[in-house]
Parts: sequence; structure tokens; C-alpha cells
Amino acid sequence: MMSDTASSMAGKVAWITGSGRGMGQAHAILLAERGADIVVHDVLVDEAKATAARIEALGRRVFLSHADVANATAMHDLVAQASRALGKIDVLVNNAGIGQHRSIEEITVEDFERMFSIHVKGSFFCGQAVMAGMKKQQSGKIINISSIWGMNGADTASHYCAAKTALLGLTKAWAKELAPWNIHVNAVCPGGVITEMPIKVQGWDKIRAKEKKVPLGRWAQPEEVSYAVAFLASGESDFITGQAISPNGGETIVGF
Amino acid sequence: MSTLAGKVALITGSGDGMGRAHAILMAERGADIVVHDIKAQPAEQTAAAVRKLGRRVHVAVCDVADVAAVRRMAAEAASVMGHVDILVNNAGYGQRSETQAITEEDFDRMFAVHVKGSFFAAQAVIAGMKERRYGKIVNISSMWGMTGAPVAPHYCAAKAALLGFTKAWAKELAPWNIHVNAVAPGGVKSGGPIKLDSAETLKAKEARVPLKRYCEPVEIAYAVAYLASPEADFVTGQVISPNGGEVIVGY
Repeated sequence: MMSDTASSMAGKVAWITGSGRGMGQAHAILLAERGADIVVHDVLVDEAKATAARIEALGRRVFLSHADVANATAMHDLVAQASRALGKIDVLVNNAGIGQHRSIEEITVEDFERMFSIHVKGSFFCGQAVMAGMKKQQSGKIINISSIWGMNGADTASHYCAAKTALLGLTKAWAKELAPWNIHVNAVCPGGVITEMPIKVQGWDKIRAKEKKVPLGRWAQPEEVSYAVAFLASGESDFITGQAISPNGGETIVGF
Repeated sequence: MSTLAGKVALITGSGDGMGRAHAILMAERGADIVVHDIKAQPAEQTAAAVRKLGRRVHVAVCDVADVAAVRRMAAEAASVMGHVDILVNNAGYGQRSETQAITEEDFDRMFAVHVKGSFFAAQAVIAGMKERRYGKIVNISSMWGMTGAPVAPHYCAAKAALLGFTKAWAKELAPWNIHVNAVAPGGVKSGGPIKLDSAETLKAKEARVPLKRYCEPVEIAYAVAYLASPEADFVTGQVISPNGGEVIVGY
């Protein structure tokens, strides 16, 4: 039955950048649980290996890479190697990213360039590298991980906010450019998510205070973002392109 | 994939088209269904399809614009099925009239069915959802509610109003862990386009969609079922628009 198989990822290969930990790891594991083979990709070597081990334990195949997403040549090499190892790449999740709570005055040229090269240039060239294969097979899914801060800004980290907004720009433009090849491009904009990064950077007291400001009164577990990613990666969303899903507990309600 | 086992879903206008697709998909995923339609025979047909899947069904036949009838439907549904966890405000219709041709009756009926109907259906089910501190409301808006169209302004505005409810209710009902979202379909091979357009017109319209096609009703149902499931428990006040790339907006 169409409805029972459309959510399955069996026979698909998904490349998730930054899948060594946090949300990226959750996306990799959920997609693997639903049948996908995974390109685990993170500059953090031990973390990436740990994710890979968990995916192999699920009986899925893994291709492992530690290349830097900001290196465009390396991304084209990665796609060539991963496609040889796993046959193809059907799904790209542009998840790799960094946070940096800095005011405008504190942001150096190096901070600025690093922020944009990881999020924007990285996502662009990962997309560029993977789309030749997707065009050939006339199907593909690209999911860009943006953020509620990319939707409505924040009182800090303006370079992060703008980079995440740029990902929404790529999403909409690529949806149009790649539609003729049946490649679907969408964004997921997480709100507050409980991962190592905010626990380390902000601490639990701050997180608890922020949770109180969310209409649903809590932050999400990483898997709750993965469900949105998996929906957009599956055949269930074959008529959805150029859209954004924001699991944010009602914190950000905008647009139409 | 995402299980709805043990949940009861009330889907207005589920006698045919997209509403029926929502009912069948959610039943396949384990939900018991309250099939509502203004017409008895189509409702019974959907009910039969749901029963075939081994799920419980309650059939309610009424006009969603009749507030008293909607309240009776919700009370009956809760007493027969135990509770209502999910409301899909799907009942609706199209009318391709231009502004000057729209009569007061046309206008009132359009808003009575889509806006008043959805409002009072929600009002009738939220008491139970608040008590159980869990609920899902999915309002079926439309791409035309997002962007407008050169025809049917009363339809466009009514569908836009559903987006207004979605956002306001998401905030008002969050303290009770009730999640409210909208699905805004683009071109679907059901209802209006099939009834009102010739095959040639339909083809021309599909050619203007970036993905070059209209979708099947079940492709809208997937978005509804996602939002109705526990997988979307952190998603509220949002809009998913399966529209083939025809409308890309926001932010």
C-alpha cells in the first residue's frame, strides 16, 4: 500500500552533515531506523565513529567522512567516494553548523567568515556536489537545517541569524531550479532543542528559564526535529518543495 | 509509520475527496475515526472503508455551519468513542465567483462553513482535550489562503482566516499541550479541479507547477497525519503547504 511504504527509507542513501552528535546524530539514527544507509559526516572523528557504530548496529551500511564542509573540493570528492561505496545519494541533510553568542562589535572577520563558510558555503557546495547524481536519477531530497533565529532574528549572534536566513534563500531558489528533475528542497527551522551545545554554552538554569517562554513550556528532544527531517526525506512529502517546517513549541509563529 | 493507535480523530467533510483520504490514512495508522459529512451516503462509504481496516467508526451527518448540530456531534462522538484527540477541520467547498458576482448569501455561506464551522467544531472538542492535556487540531487552509487568487476572494479570505485561528489557538491552547497547525494544499486531483476544470485546463495548470503535476489526495493526508501524530508534539502554530513548489513564501 502506498501509504504504508511512503514513509519508509529502505533502499535510500542519506548524507547528513554534522552527524557526529546532537541533532545530526538523531537525524542519522532515525533515517537508519527507517531503512536508509547513511553517510556519516563530521569533523569530530570520535563522535562520527560513534554514530557510525550505532548505525551499523541497526544493520545499515555506512560511509564515514571527516572532511570539512567549508572545503568545496573535498565535498565533491566525498560525493564521488560515498556514491562508489553506497551506490548513490538520495537525501542530503545540510545540518553541520556552529553557534556563537556574540554581539555585533564582538564579531571578528574570522568569526564572520567561519559562520558563513560552514553554514552557507558548506551547504551550497554539498548541494552542488550531490545534485548531479540526483538529476540523473530524477529524484532527490535536500533538507537545509535553518533555525527560528533565521526566521525572526535574535538579540545576539547576528552572523548566525543571517547565515540561517541565507539557508532559507537557498531552499526557495533550489526548490524552483531543481523541480524539473523532481528534486525536492525544504528547510527545517528548529526552535529550542536540548543538545550538548546549549547545555554546555548556556547551562540548565538558562535553558529552564527559556523553556518557560515557549508556549508549550519546554524545549524539544533532538528526535522531535528528526521527525520533521524524516518526513521531508520520505516519499510522503513528494509534493512538498520550497517550504519550511519549524518545530518550535509555538515560540515563533509567523508568515501566512 | 507514525502510529495513531488508541487515538480518535474527528474529520469534518470526510465523505469524499481529501477528507476521506485523511480518514483512511489515519485509520491505517491505528486511529478510530468520527466520519462527518453533510451527506449521509458518502459518509457511510468512508465509514465502511475505515471499518474494513478494523477500526471503530462513528458517523455524524450535519451541516458544520449549524453550531447546535456541531456541538451535538462533538458530545456524541465523545460519548460513543470515549474521547476526541484529533480534530481535522476539513469541511469546505469552492466557488469560483468574482467579487461583483458574489451575493450576500454566497459570502455568508462561505464564511459559515469554513470559518464559523471550524471555530465551533474546535470550541466543542477542546474541553475534552484540555481535560486530558493533549490534543491536535489541524485546520485545512489552502494555497489560495496564503497568496490569494484572481477569483473567489471570499474563499481566499475564509481560508486565510483559518490560518489566523491556527496561530491564535496555538498560543491560547499551548498551556494544555494542545497543538494547532494548518495544512495549505496546492493543486489536488480531487473536488474542485476535477469537477470544475476540463482535462485540458487541468493539464495547463499542472504545467505551471514547478513539479509539473497536481497531487493525489493521500499526499495531503501525509502532512495531516504527520501533524496529528506524536511526532509533531513540538510543532504548533505552523503551516505545511504541499503545493509542488507553486507557492514559496514567508520569511
